[in-house]
Amino acid sequence: MTAPAPSVARPTKPRTNWPLWALLAAAAAMSVWSGIGIEFDLRPLFEDFGRGWFIIREFFAPNWAFIGRTIPAWTETLSIAVIASLVGCTIALVMSMLASQVTARSNWVYRSAKFVLSLVRSLPDVGYGLLLVALVGVGSLAGILALTMFNIGIVAKLTSETIDGVDPGPLEAADASGADVVQRARMAVLPQILPSYLSYCLYVFELNIRASVIIGIVGGGGIGAIIAVELSRFNYDNLSAIIVLLIVVVFAIDQFSRALRRRLV
Amino acid sequence: MTGTARRGTVRPTQPSKLRYTLAQLTVLAIIIVCVVVVDARWGRLIEAPPLALHYGGLMASGVVQDPFTVPYNEYWLVALELMIESLHMAWIGTLIGAALSFPLGFLAASNVAPAPVVFAVRQVLNVIRAIPELIFAIAIMMPIFGLGPLAGALAIGVGSVGTLGKLTSEVIEGVDPGPVDAVRSTGSRQVQVLRWGVLPQILPEVVAFWLYRFEINIRASAILGVLGAGGVGALLSQLFDRRLWDRIGITLVVIIVVTIIVDQVSGAIRHRIISGAPPTQGSAIV
Repeated sequence: MTAPAPSVARPTKPRTNWPLWALLAAAAAMSVWSGIGIEFDLRPLFEDFGRGWFIIREFFAPNWAFIGRTIPAWTETLSIAVIASLVGCTIALVMSMLASQVTARSNWVYRSAKFVLSLVRSLPDVGYGLLLVALVGVGSLAGILALTMFNIGIVAKLTSETIDGVDPGPLEAADASGADVVQRARMAVLPQILPSYLSYCLYVFELNIRASVIIGIVGGGGIGAIIAVELSRFNYDNLSAIIVLLIVVVFAIDQFSRALRRRLV
Repeated sequence: MTGTARRGTVRPTQPSKLRYTLAQLTVLAIIIVCVVVVDARWGRLIEAPPLALHYGGLMASGVVQDPFTVPYNEYWLVALELMIESLHMAWIGTLIGAALSFPLGFLAASNVAPAPVVFAVRQVLNVIRAIPELIFAIAIMMPIFGLGPLAGALAIGVGSVGTLGKLTSEVIEGVDPGPVDAVRSTGSRQVQVLRWGVLPQILPEVVAFWLYRFEINIRASAILGVLGAGGVGALLSQLFDRRLWDRIGITLVVIIVVTIIVDQVSGAIRHRIISGAPPTQGSAIV
C-alpha cells in the first residue's frame, strides 16, 4: 500500500452500461412473458412422441406416384412466381426511385413513398393472400397479385437503400447537363444500381416459390392448393412426396439464382 | 466514319450486343409462356378495383367506429391479444433458433472447426434453409405438439437455424485475427480463445441478426397461424372465412401498426448495436 504509485495510470474501470442492462432485462422479461403466453413446454416431445410418430412415419413413406398428378400445379406455381416477380420488380424500381433522397423530386415525395413502402411491408404475405382471394376469387390471379405486393415491399426497400449509396459524380454530371428527374434517374442512377437491383429480383424470385405455397394454401392456386387439399384429407404420404419435391425445387432455384447473382455483382 | 479514319484515330468497335439481345429474347419468351400457361382469368382484374373500393369502405367503417363502444372494444382487444400471441411465438422461435444456431455457427466456421465437421454442419444448415417453416410445422411439430402456438414457435425455431447458423459462421470467419493471436499467445486453451478472442468481436453482429430474424419471424408466425398455430393469423383466416369486413379492417390495422412499431424499435437497436454510437454522434448510419 505504501509503494509509490506506478508511472502508468491504471485504466479506469468502464462504467456500468445501463442501457445495455436495461435491454437485457427487457429481453429476459419478454422471454418469460412469451414462454408463459404460448405455454412453452417440451414435455410433449417425450410424452406424445408416439402419437406424433404415427403421422411422421407416413411422411417417411412418400407416395411418389402422386407426383405425376401434380405437374400442372408445379408449372402454375412457377408461372405465378415469374409473373409476380416481373411485375413486382418493375413497380418496385419506380417506387425505390421515389423512396430515395437521391432521386426523389422533393422531400415530401420521398417521405410519403417511404411511408407507403413500410405499410406494404408490414402486412405478411399470407395477409395479402387472404385479401386478394377475397377480392378476385380463388385462383392464380389472386396468387399473382398477392406475390406482387410481397415482392414490391422487399425489392423497393433494398433498391432504395442501394440508390442512397450511389456515387454522386454521374448525378452532378446529369444535373450540369440539365437533365430532368427521369433522365437523371435513367442515365445517372440506373446504370450504377442495375447489378444490385437484378440480384434483388432474383432473390425475391427464390422467396416467391416458398411464399406461393402458403398463398396457394389460402386459395392462391398452384402447388399450395394441392397441399391444402391433401392436408385436409390427412394424406400424409402424398404430402410427403410434394414436400420432398418442393425442397428439391427450392434448392435447385436457389443454386441457379446464386450462380447468376455471383456473375452479376 | 471516313473523317475519323483520315485523322488516323480508329473508332473503337462497338461491343457486341448479341448476348444482351439473346438474354432479352429469352426473358421475353419465358414471360409469354408463363402468361399463357397460367390460368389466371385476367378479366377479373377489371372487376377488382370497384370491389376493392367497396370492401375497403367496409373495412374502414369498422376502423372508424368508436373503439370504446360495445362490440368494437372487444374486436380491438381480441386482435391485439392475438397479435401479442404471434409476437410471443416469434420471440420464442427466435430464441430457439439463436440457441441452436450459435454452436452450429462455430462448427461451420472454417477457422474454428476441422474441415470435415465444417462440411457436415454446412450441409445440415443448407438442408434446413431449403425447407420452409410451414413444412416443419405441418410435418413434425403439429403431429407431436398438437395445434397451437407452441408448435408454431418450435417450427419457427428450427426454421431459423439454417439462416442464422450460416450468417454466424460467416461472421466468425471474418474476425480480425489480431485479438485471437493475442489471447492464444497468453497460453489460453481453445475455449478461452473463442471466449475472449472471437466472441467479443462477433457478438454485436450476431445479436443484430437475431433481432432481424425476429422481425422476419413475426411474419412467419402469421403464416403458421393460418395453418392452425394460433395467433393473429388464425383470427385473420377465420374472419376472412366469414367475410366480417369491419373486423378484418380492425385486425389489419393492429397487424400493421404493431409490426411497424416492432420493426422501428428493433431496427434502432440493431443500428445502435452495430455502429456502437447513437446517430447524433455523426457516425455513418445507413
